[in-house]
Amino acid sequence: MSRLAALAVLATALLATGARAADAPVTHFVLDPAKSSLEFTFVQAGAQNKGRFTRLQVSFDHAADNPAASRLDVTVDVKSLDTGDQERDDTLRGDELFAVAKFPQAHFAASQVAKTATGYEAVGKLTIRGVTHDARVPFAFRTATENGAAVGYMSGKTIVRRLDYGVGQGDWKATDQVGNDVVVSFALRLAAH
Amino acid sequence: MPVRNTTYRWGVLSQLFHWLIVALVILQVTLASLADDLPPGAKKLALLARHKSVGITILMLVILRLLWRQLNPIPLLPTTLKPYERVLAHTTHTLLYVLLFTMPLSGWMMSSARGFPVSWFGFFTLPDLVPKNRSLYEALLTTHETLAVALAVVVTLHVAAALKHHFWLRDDVLRRMLPFTTRTQGPKT
Repeated sequence: MSRLAALAVLATALLATGARAADAPVTHFVLDPAKSSLEFTFVQAGAQNKGRFTRLQVSFDHAADNPAASRLDVTVDVKSLDTGDQERDDTLRGDELFAVAKFPQAHFAASQVAKTATGYEAVGKLTIRGVTHDARVPFAFRTATENGAAVGYMSGKTIVRRLDYGVGQGDWKATDQVGNDVVVSFALRLAAH
Repeated sequence: MPVRNTTYRWGVLSQLFHWLIVALVILQVTLASLADDLPPGAKKLALLARHKSVGITILMLVILRLLWRQLNPIPLLPTTLKPYERVLAHTTHTLLYVLLFTMPLSGWMMSSARGFPVSWFGFFTLPDLVPKNRSLYEALLTTHETLAVALAVVVTLHVAAALKHHFWLRDDVLRRMLPFTTRTQGPKT
């Protein structure tokens, strides 16, 4: 009888856990490219200059009640960079900078999302030019319902030190003309999928 | 030597403006030709950034120089000059000022049209003078290069005239722009 009781308790506990896990809603979001932007600001010859990546993929598993269970995955087609100057873009795509022929994609994979005082922070690994480092990207996220469909707005800003990832070989290792700190900012519209 | 000009001699400040701009223009030609020989890259970027900063420095100096010129007497041309020589001298000097002003200005506009903001040695960024526009950039590049050729021609004429005054006419036209010389035809003080 006691064994039966123990089993019953265990079964109830398991069921409850399972139910809780199933209850925690996870919404899968993907990028709405037309209404999203991924920009970067860098210092060139003492002045601020801007560029953007026009092709990227975003997958966000949003567990509203349990941020730790959320997942964020961003893949950027590096070749799609656009700084508004053909010559500069070609230079950036070249072997000494992004080397897009060899490393066509940059990737950020966050296996954890932490709640912060001001929003969220994606904790994961950032890979650029084949070099991977731990990275924490703070972001704000809000959901809305538009035309009956769930959408999410994700925005944030982080600093990436280009030389940590080898973006700048040879003469480009110098930071007097092109700064090491690159401000990456994003404003993404995500659609529940 | 007085700081201000007199009617027979350039003062310290005018001489400083003159020779500083001479040195910076020589530096500009050097930086531009070094950059021209390089493929796009970090070295070229660094040289052109320096070229732009020095150019803006020249622009500021020329503006100050013209203001100072307004506040000072101008040393008189030698009375031995023929009327057409006086016209030639005035024209050459006017052209020099115009070119020293329009060279950096066209360079600045060129950078703006290219979409590359100009920074002064990294201390501050100058506002863009014109919107980003590729064909405007091409036109301004041609303008900048044409003005450079014009400046070379006028400078050659200016230097030739100064040397002619000094070695052939043996007057004090060159000497009065030189520091450390006291032999001028003006009244002794």
